[in-house]
Amino acid sequence: MVEVRLERVSKRFGRVVAVNEVSLVFEDGRFTVLLGPSGSGKSTLLYLIAGIYKPTSGRIFFGDRDVTELPPKERNVGLVFQNYALYPHMTVYDNIAFPLRLRGVPEPEIDSRVQEVAKLLRIEELLDRYPGQLSGGQQQRVALARALVKRPAVLLLDEPLSNLDALLRLSIRAELRKLQQSLGITAIHVTHDQAEAMSMADKIVVIDRGRVQQVGPPEEVYERPRNLFVATFIGSPPSNTLPGSVESDGGYPVVRVAGSTYRPGEEEARVVEEAGLDRVVVAFRPEHARLLEAPPDEGFDGLSLEGEVYLVEPLGKENIVTLTVAGLPVKTVTPPEQRPGPGEKLYIAVPRPRVMLFDPDTGLNLWSLAEQLAAARRPD
Amino acid sequence: MSLVSRLRGLRPRPPAQRGAWDVETIRRGRLSLVLAIVLGLAGLPLILLYSMLVLSSFADRMLSGPDIFEARYSLDNWRLLFEGRLAPASGQTYTTRDILMIIANTFIVALGVTVVVVFVSVLAGYAFSRMRFWGRTRLMEFLILLHAFPGVALIIAVYAVYVWSLRFVPRDWFVPYTVLYTVLARAALEIPMSIWLMKGFFDKIPWEVEWSALVDGASRFTVWRKIMLPLVRPGIAALAIFAFLAGWEDLIYVHVFLYPHVKTLATYIEEVLGTGTETAYLPVVAAAGTLYLIPTIVFFVATQRLLLQALSGGVKA
Repeated sequence: MVEVRLERVSKRFGRVVAVNEVSLVFEDGRFTVLLGPSGSGKSTLLYLIAGIYKPTSGRIFFGDRDVTELPPKERNVGLVFQNYALYPHMTVYDNIAFPLRLRGVPEPEIDSRVQEVAKLLRIEELLDRYPGQLSGGQQQRVALARALVKRPAVLLLDEPLSNLDALLRLSIRAELRKLQQSLGITAIHVTHDQAEAMSMADKIVVIDRGRVQQVGPPEEVYERPRNLFVATFIGSPPSNTLPGSVESDGGYPVVRVAGSTYRPGEEEARVVEEAGLDRVVVAFRPEHARLLEAPPDEGFDGLSLEGEVYLVEPLGKENIVTLTVAGLPVKTVTPPEQRPGPGEKLYIAVPRPRVMLFDPDTGLNLWSLAEQLAAARRPD
Repeated sequence: MSLVSRLRGLRPRPPAQRGAWDVETIRRGRLSLVLAIVLGLAGLPLILLYSMLVLSSFADRMLSGPDIFEARYSLDNWRLLFEGRLAPASGQTYTTRDILMIIANTFIVALGVTVVVVFVSVLAGYAFSRMRFWGRTRLMEFLILLHAFPGVALIIAVYAVYVWSLRFVPRDWFVPYTVLYTVLARAALEIPMSIWLMKGFFDKIPWEVEWSALVDGASRFTVWRKIMLPLVRPGIAALAIFAFLAGWEDLIYVHVFLYPHVKTLATYIEEVLGTGTETAYLPVVAAAGTLYLIPTIVFFVATQRLLLQALSGGVKA
């Protein structure tokens, strides 16, 4: 069990930069999820940690050990692939025993360790079968058993749940998390499924175009997205974004957005003035917006928009209502009993703490822009 | 007739009667029938002529049609063949041939070609499939180009190299050297296509399987030996069969480089026929021809499915 540290790691394939100057720490014994869309470089990052790829530049540490130049077999990592990558010509038993045999572990010990891990993953009955005779869920367990049997320092999971059907995915998700906690192993899990990331992770690393976009516990990534990408990638349905222009209301900056005026909080107003922004992107999550029949009261503190219902998608436990607001689509989530009809004129109300403002040029959330400005101002 | 009833008359029978046909199964019955007839007609001359050959090897004359009912059948021709005699009348001035030796020679050449082709193609196929190196794509294209040359077209150049190389060979080594040279030259003709075939088999194995093994603690070579090789075994088998048959059937190279000091079945049959069809006792030649056919038939019958997979570019792992 070690901590994994990346220092300014880059990986280029020809002219394509798959991973760009990534510095990260994966804490010992924690479950970290690398989350990003396909092609974001998250799997490449995992393969760099496994040693399948060598970084073009930068260093990788397991604890104090610099493993940058070490081949995979000297890193002691367990790796589970999306397609499980079992050895089709070997029985389940031989698959699991394979890493131990390569290390020359004596046969009686191999047997006891294979039995032990098979029991842990409840696949004892499958040991004599071949991978081709197993279901997806079973293959997945075997792959996990093969990764765990060598008692790896780090467990790497490359979208291991993506090939499973929805129900099985949910149960294995919980099981995998429990297993990781009971073993206390450092786990790094790659996925493009943000729900999976939110539910499993101690820490989420959001990646896009080879760069780390945000690092933090799931709640933080959800509540305080650092930039527009994170705000729109995490959440289902994703955050609504509307372009706004900054105007002055008696010296106080206000945002004109989709036909209404939004008065930002003092903190944000200060950043807007300091950075000299004349445009911002206003964003909010569908689940944070309420639909009202009438405009909110005078005293309402937040963003209020007027829209026309375009589409209603009932999901049973809730409805997703798409409205057009000044020609732009806005999604909201309503309780099942609130089910407006298409064409209805409604008001959208989002309380102030739930409204997020972004700088359209850098895509940064205003709080993160403030941090950057502060950092730039510091004398060193 | 009203429009309605006319339409009704044109309406196809309800699906329940026609069976549930979709795009894939549509008219399969009829298609199979047509295919069977076409292939049957195309195969008929081959089947008839080969049956004649096999029958003739047991008959007292060369059969040509209706005379199959008149001929007397026995194992005499086969006995003569293995005794190395070419005709039943012993008074004739034929030198006897050691047929067992000839069969052994044929096997040596065929197996030699097999070993060389399999060894080179498995290694090269892996490299082309899994490794990046300078000129990889160009080389692949070049291999296809090489494959386009028939062996006959290359024979003069190959012969020139052969003659030139002989000066380095001591007298005592002449025979083994010519066998080796024939095997290598014949194998070289098979290798370009075999490499492509083998590459196809390696391509079918997901990278993840190889990576898994690397992460499990194997070296690249161990991965190749313990994971990749067992998975391409069907490919190797197909390759070996093709190579063996190529070596077994070869006439030109064997004739140019080995005749007359080393004889194989091909050159033996050629020689017997070459002495003049008027004097050759053809039923014995038919027996020799049948013997020559046996490996081909056995291999194709035993490995039809494998060959189909191989020709369609590999197998599922």
